Amino acid sequence: MSATLRPSGALKSYIGERDEVQVESGRTVRETLVLLGIPPEIIALVVVNGEQQAKDYVIQEGDTIKALAVIGGG
Amino acid sequence: MRLYADSSKCSGCNACRVACSLNLFGESNPKKAALVIEPHFPAEGVYKVRVCTQCGYCAAVCPTEAIVKNDRGAWYVNFAECNLCEACVPECPEDVMFLRAEMANTAWECDLCGDCVAVCGTNALWIAE
Amino acid sequence: MLNGYGGQILRVNLTEGKISKEPTPPELARDFIGGRGFGAYFLFKEVPKGADPLGAQNKLIISSGPFSGMLVPGGGKCDWTTKSPLTGGYASASLGGHFTAEMKYAGLDSIILEGISPKPVYLFIEDDKIELRDAADLWGKGAIQVEKQFKDKLGEEYQVAVIGPGGEKLVSYASINHDYGRQAGRGGVGTVMGVKKVKAIVIRGTRSVPVADKEAYRQAGMALYKACKEAEFLPEWTRYGTTVVTSWCDEVGALPTRNFSAGSFEGGKTLYGPVMRETIVITDKGCFGCPSPCGKYSRSKKYNLEVEGPEYETIGMMGSNLGISDIEAVAKLNLLCDDLGIDTISAGSAIGWAMECYEKGIFTQKDTDGLDLKFGNVEAAFSLVEKIANKEGLGALLSEGVKKASKKIGQGSEKFAIHVKGMEQSAYATHNATAMLISYMTSDVGAHHNRAWAITYDLQVGRDKVVPEKVARVIWLQNFRPMFDVLGGCRLQWVELGIDRDLYVPAIEAITGIRRTWEDLEKTGERIWNLTRLFWARENEDFGREWDMPAPRFYEEPPTTGVTKGQITKLEDVNKLLDMYYEQRGWTSEGMPTSAKLEQLGMAELVA
Repeated sequence: MSATLRPSGALKSYIGERDEVQVESGRTVRETLVLLGIPPEIIALVVVNGEQQAKDYVIQEGDTIKALAVIGGG
Repeated sequence: MRLYADSSKCSGCNACRVACSLNLFGESNPKKAALVIEPHFPAEGVYKVRVCTQCGYCAAVCPTEAIVKNDRGAWYVNFAECNLCEACVPECPEDVMFLRAEMANTAWECDLCGDCVAVCGTNALWIAE
Repeated sequence: MLNGYGGQILRVNLTEGKISKEPTPPELARDFIGGRGFGAYFLFKEVPKGADPLGAQNKLIISSGPFSGMLVPGGGKCDWTTKSPLTGGYASASLGGHFTAEMKYAGLDSIILEGISPKPVYLFIEDDKIELRDAADLWGKGAIQVEKQFKDKLGEEYQVAVIGPGGEKLVSYASINHDYGRQAGRGGVGTVMGVKKVKAIVIRGTRSVPVADKEAYRQAGMALYKACKEAEFLPEWTRYGTTVVTSWCDEVGALPTRNFSAGSFEGGKTLYGPVMRETIVITDKGCFGCPSPCGKYSRSKKYNLEVEGPEYETIGMMGSNLGISDIEAVAKLNLLCDDLGIDTISAGSAIGWAMECYEKGIFTQKDTDGLDLKFGNVEAAFSLVEKIANKEGLGALLSEGVKKASKKIGQGSEKFAIHVKGMEQSAYATHNATAMLISYMTSDVGAHHNRAWAITYDLQVGRDKVVPEKVARVIWLQNFRPMFDVLGGCRLQWVELGIDRDLYVPAIEAITGIRRTWEDLEKTGERIWNLTRLFWARENEDFGREWDMPAPRFYEEPPTTGVTKGQITKLEDVNKLLDMYYEQRGWTSEGMPTSAKLEQLGMAELVA
């Protein structure tokens, strides 16, 4: 347990209405989302420590990952 | 303390100017604001923001001593004392001292209320020493 | 004094050159609130049945709302309503920028343009000084040049809405341009302004808008801004604007590719938001009062130009949909469309359709004036945009929109004319996204996304599932989201930043003095939805279920490439979606509001 995932508002229901959840390093963002029960394809944007990353990014120790879903739409 | 602006962050939305007029006059009217956004479009495609630096040159020339300091340490116009002489307007190096008689019966300037900073979504404005 | 309103409706009779004002009726404000609500009301009540969209009886109704010009995030939206020359039905286009604020400061809730001017004019409004002025020397000029000319002459406090040559020449999907890159784009509102011979509206107001409770208003406004500024994803939405979704659409097969024949594009990566940000964006450009400016102002070195955008819809329609993968080429297409005054979405669809006709051999170089109209041919696309705006050669056909153009050409081209009710579908491919499909099918202006955007809901529920929950979600969105257009505000702070929509409730009450919960607002949304549906039916004798059908491509032709390869919605599911939709709306199986429904909504008298 060594990184922090912060999903956008509408995704909080997937993690018990919390603002953030601790996740393990060494997995990709995609795998991590699946483990949390969040469908990876609803995530539009992944930002790790302020930089945009692909869902295949392998989570590192101490990362803060923001995951944005576009629920409300365009 | 004074207001600062980073023009490169400004998106020209004018929320700051609505908040300003609401503070100064209790109105929603950006034409009665004490800061200026100059759009430069279609080229070069940037906004330039001008704000009060609290230099006090306006106060120095005011014949009725209408421009005084408030408890935030900022110069402001005491509307009741302003005689509309316009002496302050040309003194302002930033061109943010206003007198538009068709809109208000007084001159006005920034009184450092901070509401513009509070509504700026791009953090283009801040107050510091 | 009507709190929260300019207080007056301006009528401009262009035929006679007469200008008059009337007080905004308090009951109109109560029942229809403003913006799109006012537009729908005036259209339904004042444009006579069977009016020619390009005739003197049609009106162009321009409306602000209670949020416009106020301390409310996104209070910069203006509604432009008319009977559409593109679809023959209801058109309502939303314009951002700073125009709507100036209307309020000039004391105007609606501007209604009536009749047809005998010569080109522009409407000049400065508080109570309102004049029709000669526009002979502006006629024929590009929208950007004309706006610049006014600003140089009058100053930055004046706001300008202007049509380009496309509007003058009556391209069916001509746009109205403002603030160097904001448009009332869809449904041909610019065409109606063009036929009325109004080149521009120039406006400046100096008044303040009365509010019911000043302190409560200030507090509610500040609370809304605070929520926006604290939103977790404000930096990302500001950095990329609507292009946040470009890569995502490509990934899930929603990115229109080569005339919607597929939903992901092998050349898509160079169109993505971060690439665009790094290569061409120079400034974030916001509409009035916006804390999360989605406008990206760009400079293309390659084409030596500045343009606002391209935003996602334009990237989809003039990039991937044309097989173009160069963001700078898309920026140039964007600028051409803006300056010539035509809608990028409809124009992108028309060119995509023409390219497909060419690749299928329906068109040869004889039909295309020598253009090698293959997908991906950037120069051909540039050329065709100009031909459309000037109605030259093939451009004349395409200027009518894909529904009419494909009907004329036939040879199966109707099957890949991507529209609903004659409006070209905006930039979400719906081969396998049934909620988004029913959203497009039933949108009140034709295939536009702004009423209900439901693609993520498809992904959450299962994209090929045809279940009542999806339809219910779409109906809820259709009743709810357009209320931002009624209020004169922008939905994106709710959509993107995810702020609590209940924060708007105290703002509405403090500004107007009328307490409205979202339940009340959605009820108003439902009434307007039913009213515009009745307008379609009144204006089109054969209106009914057939009009709600999507392009056959989405139920007959599964994509052969991309992530939605082989995926398609079955025709029986399309029909099932419509049945569920009509039932949940309280409409007949032909899609007409029942008298019981109208009674329930308190509309029986209004529409009698």
